[in-house]
Formats: sequence, C-alpha cells, structure tokens
Amino acid sequence: MKLKATILGMSALVALAAPALAEYPERAIELTIPAGAGGGTDTSARKLAILLEEKLGTSIAILNVGGGGGSVGASQFMQAKPDGYSLFATWNSPITTVPQVQNVAYSLDSFTPIASTSETAYTLCVKADFPAATGEEFLAELAANPGKYTYGNDGIGGTMQLAAERIFQAKEIDAIAIPFGGAGETLQNFLGNHVDIYGGSISTVLPYVETGEAKCLLVTSAADVPALPDASGLESLGLGDKETLLWRAILGPKDLDPAIVEKLAAVIDEAVNDPSYVEFLATKGEVPNVVKGDALGDRLQSEYDALAEVSKRLGL
Amino acid sequence: MEFFTTALGHVLTLGPLSAMTGSTLLGVFIGALPGLNPVMAIALLLPLTYSMDPLVALAMVAGIYNGSMYGGAIPAILLRIPGTPASIATTFDGFPMADKGEASKALKIACWSSAVGGIASAVALMTMGPLLARLTLFFGPAEYFWIAIFGMASVGVMVGSDPVKGIMAAVLGLLIGTMGIDNLSGQARFTFGQTWMLGGLDLIVVLVGLYALPPVLQLAEKADLRGLSAAQLKLADAPFKPGELRGLIPTWLRASGIGIGVGILPGAGGNIAAFLSYNAAKNASSDPESFGKGNPQGVAAAECGNNADNAASMIPALSLGIPGNVVAALVLSALTIHGLQPGPQLFHQNPVLVGGFMVEMLLTSVLIFALGGAVATRVFAQFQRLPGVLLVPSILILMCVGVYVINGRPVDLWVMLGAGIAGYLLEKVNVPLAPIILGMILGPMAEQSVRRALLISRGDATDLLTRPISAGLAIATLLVILWPVVKTLRRRRAARA
Repeated sequence: MKLKATILGMSALVALAAPALAEYPERAIELTIPAGAGGGTDTSARKLAILLEEKLGTSIAILNVGGGGGSVGASQFMQAKPDGYSLFATWNSPITTVPQVQNVAYSLDSFTPIASTSETAYTLCVKADFPAATGEEFLAELAANPGKYTYGNDGIGGTMQLAAERIFQAKEIDAIAIPFGGAGETLQNFLGNHVDIYGGSISTVLPYVETGEAKCLLVTSAADVPALPDASGLESLGLGDKETLLWRAILGPKDLDPAIVEKLAAVIDEAVNDPSYVEFLATKGEVPNVVKGDALGDRLQSEYDALAEVSKRLGL
Repeated sequence: MEFFTTALGHVLTLGPLSAMTGSTLLGVFIGALPGLNPVMAIALLLPLTYSMDPLVALAMVAGIYNGSMYGGAIPAILLRIPGTPASIATTFDGFPMADKGEASKALKIACWSSAVGGIASAVALMTMGPLLARLTLFFGPAEYFWIAIFGMASVGVMVGSDPVKGIMAAVLGLLIGTMGIDNLSGQARFTFGQTWMLGGLDLIVVLVGLYALPPVLQLAEKADLRGLSAAQLKLADAPFKPGELRGLIPTWLRASGIGIGVGILPGAGGNIAAFLSYNAAKNASSDPESFGKGNPQGVAAAECGNNADNAASMIPALSLGIPGNVVAALVLSALTIHGLQPGPQLFHQNPVLVGGFMVEMLLTSVLIFALGGAVATRVFAQFQRLPGVLLVPSILILMCVGVYVINGRPVDLWVMLGAGIAGYLLEKVNVPLAPIILGMILGPMAEQSVRRALLISRGDATDLLTRPISAGLAIATLLVILWPVVKTLRRRRAARA
C-alpha cells in the first residue's frame, strides 16, 4: 500500500515535471520592455513578439515600463517568477551601462541570458562644412581643439556617450557632451546648429547623409558600415578594441530552467532570421545577431567590465 | 495639391473610411475614460496592423488621436474629471456650465471647437508642413527654456482668488517634477531608495488621482440614490443666443494658431496648448472675471487648442523624421515597418501614404462634428444620469484599471490614492489643482533645457537672452505677466473717471 502510494506519488511528480517542459508554453507570456512605446527597442521587440507568438503558439502580452534609461523596467522585471512566462526584451544599456551611473538594485546575476537578437553601431556626424572629411581628420580636429566642440548624445552615462568617450579617451580628446532625451532630439539640435556633432543611431540621421546636409565620419563598430561609406570603422583607425554597439536581447529572470532557455533561444534564433524580420531590421540599420545562453552572459560581462573602466575614468 | 486629390481617392475607399469612423468613436471613448489614453491605445493597436494596408492602420491612428482629444472633454464637462491631461483646462469653464444646466451646450461647443482646431491643424500640416518644420530647428535648449517659462507665466490665470495658494500649488508641482532620475547627471532625486520611483511619478497616474478622485468623493458625499431623469439632463435643447457662435470665431482662430505653434515644437504637447489657449482667451476677453464661472469661450479655447496640437505635432515627424511625441514616434515606426524611411524625403517616397495620412487627419476631425455631436455626446451624457451609488464605484473601477495598465504595477494605484486624497484636502482649503499639473509638466522641461543651454554656452547665462527667439519669448513672458495688471489698472482708472 505504502509502496503503491509512493510510486503513484512519484509518477505524479514525474507527470507534473515532464509536461511542464514539453508543453511549455501553455499560457500567455508577458514581455516587459524597459522603454516607452514607439522607440527602437519597443518596435523591434513588438515585431519579434508577433513572430514568436506564431512559433510558440501562445500569445505574448507586451508591457512597456519606461524611465530611468531602462533601469525602472529592469528593476521591476528582476522580481518576476522564473517560470518562463515573464520575459524581458531589452537593449544592452540598462544592463551594462546604466548600473555604472545609477545605484540600481539589479546586477548581471539578476537575469538569465536567453539570446541576443540584433545589433547596430552608433555614429558621429557633423555638418557638411565641418573641417574634416575622414574619421582620422575628424578625430585630429577634435584633438587639436579641446573643449571647442559639443556633441549631442542619448543621455548622461548612456551607451552612446560611453561609446564616444571610449574613443575620445584613447585619443585624448576633450569634447563637451550634451545629453538629450533620444536620437530624435539630438538630431533636431544638430540640424538647428545647437550642437556641433550628432551622436546617436544611424537610421535617424541617414536621410540627412543622403541629402548631403550631414556627413558621418565615424561609427562605433570595429568594421565599416555599408550604409555610411564616408564613416571609418574603428579597426581602420587602430581602435578596434574600443568597439561599442547597440544591441538587443531577450533575458529571463534569475534561475530560469535551462531547458526553457534552450527552447526559447532556438525559437528566437528562428524568428530573428525570418526574412521578414531581417528586412525589418534593415530599415532600422540593424543586422541580426544571435548569441545564446552562456555565451550571451559572457558578452554582457565583458561589455560591463569595459564600460566600468570608461565611466571610472570619466568620473561618473 | 495634386498629391492630395490622388491620396483622397485612396482614402475614400471602404477600408480606410470604416477604420476612420470606428476609430474616431473608439478614440472618443478612450479619451472619455480617465486613465485610458490615446498613446496607450495606439501603441496596443498599431503592432496588430503591421500586416494590414498601411492606410487603414494610419486611419486608425488618426481617428483615435483626434477622437480622444475631444473625448477627454466629455468627463471634464460632465464630472469635472479631465479624460486626458490635455482636457484639464476644459474643466475650468466646462463644469461650471454643466452645473448651470448647460451641459449639452458645453459639449456642443467642445465638439465644434475640437473639430475646428483639428481641421485647422490638418490644413497647416498639408500646406505648410516642411516650412513649419524648418522653423522648429531654430528652437534649441535656450528657446525651450523660455517656452516653459512662458507656459508657467500662464499659471497666473488659474490661481483663482488667492494667488499665494496658487503659487504654492505650482511649486508643489515643480517639486514633484524633480523626482526620479535626473537625465543630465544620472543622479536619482527624491526616490527614497524606491526603485519604482526612479522614473518619477507618472503624470497620468497623478492626474487621475488628483483630478478624478475629489469629484468622485464629492459625488459620494451627496449619496444620491436616484439619479437624474432625462428631462433634468437638458440634453435635447441648448439654445444659443444670437451671435454667440460668431463670437467664438476669434477664440477659435487664436486657439488654432497657438495649438499649431505648440504642436510643431517637439516635446511640447496638447496640455500646454490648451493652457496657453485658455490663457490667451481670458487675456483677450473684455470680461475676464467671467472665466472659470462657465464662460463658453473658455471651453472653446481649451478644446480648440488641444485638437490643433494634433496634426501639427506630426509636422516635424513627417517632414524631418523627428518625432515630437509618442504618437508621432508610433506613426514613424509604422511607416518604417512599411518600408519607408522617415526624413525629408518621406513625402516623395510615398506621397499616397503620407498624403493619405494627412487627409485622414483632416477627415477624422470632420468626423468629430458628426460622431462627436450626434452619437458620442448623447451616449456618454447618459452616464451623468446614473445615481451616485452606481456612478461612483463605476468611475473608481475605470480609474483603477486605467492607472494599472499604464505600467502594470500595483504601486501606481497607491500613488493615485495618495494624489487623490491630497487633491481632496487641497480643494477643501481652496488650493487650485491645475498649477500642480502645470508645474509637473513644465518644471522638468524648464530645468533640463536651461541646464543644456548652459552646458552649450559653457556656463554663460547671457546666452539665454541674446539669441533673437529667446529674447522675444522672454519679452512675451513679461507681457503675459504684466498684461492682466495693466488691464486692471486701466479699468480702475476708467471707473474713477
């Protein structure tokens, strides 16, 4: 009798445990986005969510929690249950950059890396009449005139600013950072000549490169960017190790079941490489880039360490 | 113009037409429910439309956006609860009108004024978009600082009989506006170590608490069990005095101009447009004392101003690729998904789509006349007939749902409750609430702009005054502050003579 009960109990346990994974997901997933509706992180996550819904056969509810450069959403998400029904679609900044300047409650350990999705470089652009035509001349002009030029960026201690400062520190350049609320606001002030240099995402400024009003001389990736033929990649300037990118990823709460991570990572990989998504990314100047699980964790850690050093030297 | 006739042909088909009609009604509904707002609705709906005909998707955006700006006026007039932040100024005269038994008249004026403002704005978008867009580039941080200060000067109009209390309320709003992460230094301010406060207090959450809870509590105090009869609602006839409508025309013209001017500036929104229009109407009036006591001009100015902001806010987005607010950002992202690249070439890339969206902004404003007046107003006004025992809990539930879905966190409900109790107590001691919201909106704008301007000028404050537009705005601010004083002095002298 006792034995039978034990066996029954054990098989019940097995029965409970096995389908939990086999049938995952069996209800709706909540996807937290640590940014307001309408921005780059939001649109790319929503578009991806539509593809994931199809592939996972469940619905995904989007929750936008903006504020604090993404830290508000990240802090709220870290308290979610690690059952696979709460996921976090973020860009790298709230995880690797914001903790350098804000006293946040979370660390890299508060999340389970699942998979990265896409990436793009930042660019530095000047008006057509700026006395430089290449990335090298641009950096030389800045170095020769300390404190003369202002550059707009996405916010103090944001990834864009740190990406620029990594380069500036290496070349001993002193340019004045003017933090704005986002690339759109930076563009407005750049076009209106309120700041000398545009610093931000490529897609925002691209139309003005095509009209000739702006010339982009530098990208923050090691390699050149085909859309910006005049911009130098960092490798060509001997600064290949100073690469800082904007990239996006899906994370889970701490202690997420590895089997769920694996399943999600595989599905995300498929969705990101779906032709419709690749095409969508291209309109935003982004390319697919899927790094899964522990490898993603390593990427987060090494970026975190590199940016910690930059911000320490900046005195942030 | 040829663009628009072509675009019109595409818009006047079954899909976009039914989308515009449905979404304008939906927009009125969303605007009328405190807590629900157009940004949220558009953000939820737009991704569903990625696979649809883009003109249908954009028709929905236009309808929700324009409809909700008018919808916000309905509870503002009937219950003194602004449905959106942009309809606060509508409560000033709308509710006193309703109190006098002129609810239907006030709703009609709100409806017509919304439509007029929306149409004027859409016409500006269609005819002068690129020109106005280039104009916005002259506005840098120094100019934005003065716009915020100019807006704050209009606080004078809403302080009521006791200026000291009004200024106290404005300062309270400024203080609330400093909470959260400071964008320029990355420092957390007044967050008391609470993570959820890093983003500051959400404007809509505070607004719903501050503005919706006190009227609801007052309704509850009356403990009315029977409700109004259809006759008491006085919905059927609201006669206009001869010349009364014609008298609104100057107000409409002024408010449309202000709304468009505010709209084209990225970052300044419908709430500022409504406040400034209201202020201008009061300053221009020969009888400023009647404002706040049920003057139809006040309703007309506020509602025309907030709708005139709408289409104009699309100007920098469609002409420059710079989204001035979240709705514009959502529209740009929708266009991007359909393969367009926002920027100066946008119109030429796909004139049918971009022109079609402009036509839709125009047509949905026209639809407000038809739908807002006939259908929506009549349906929504029926709510007022509900007995307090039903109305009070219904509004409370709607408020809680609306506030909860903004960020999906329970703590916002506590913030709403706290703000509501504070609002109830402040009203009991005659402290006006509008300056608190104005301070919350304009305080951060003024602070961040002035700090950016000083960073750019390397700390030289004279830069704030030596640029032509900033100097002009500074003088305008001074005039706005002094004008009521001059007027009062003149009237006194005239009375003496």
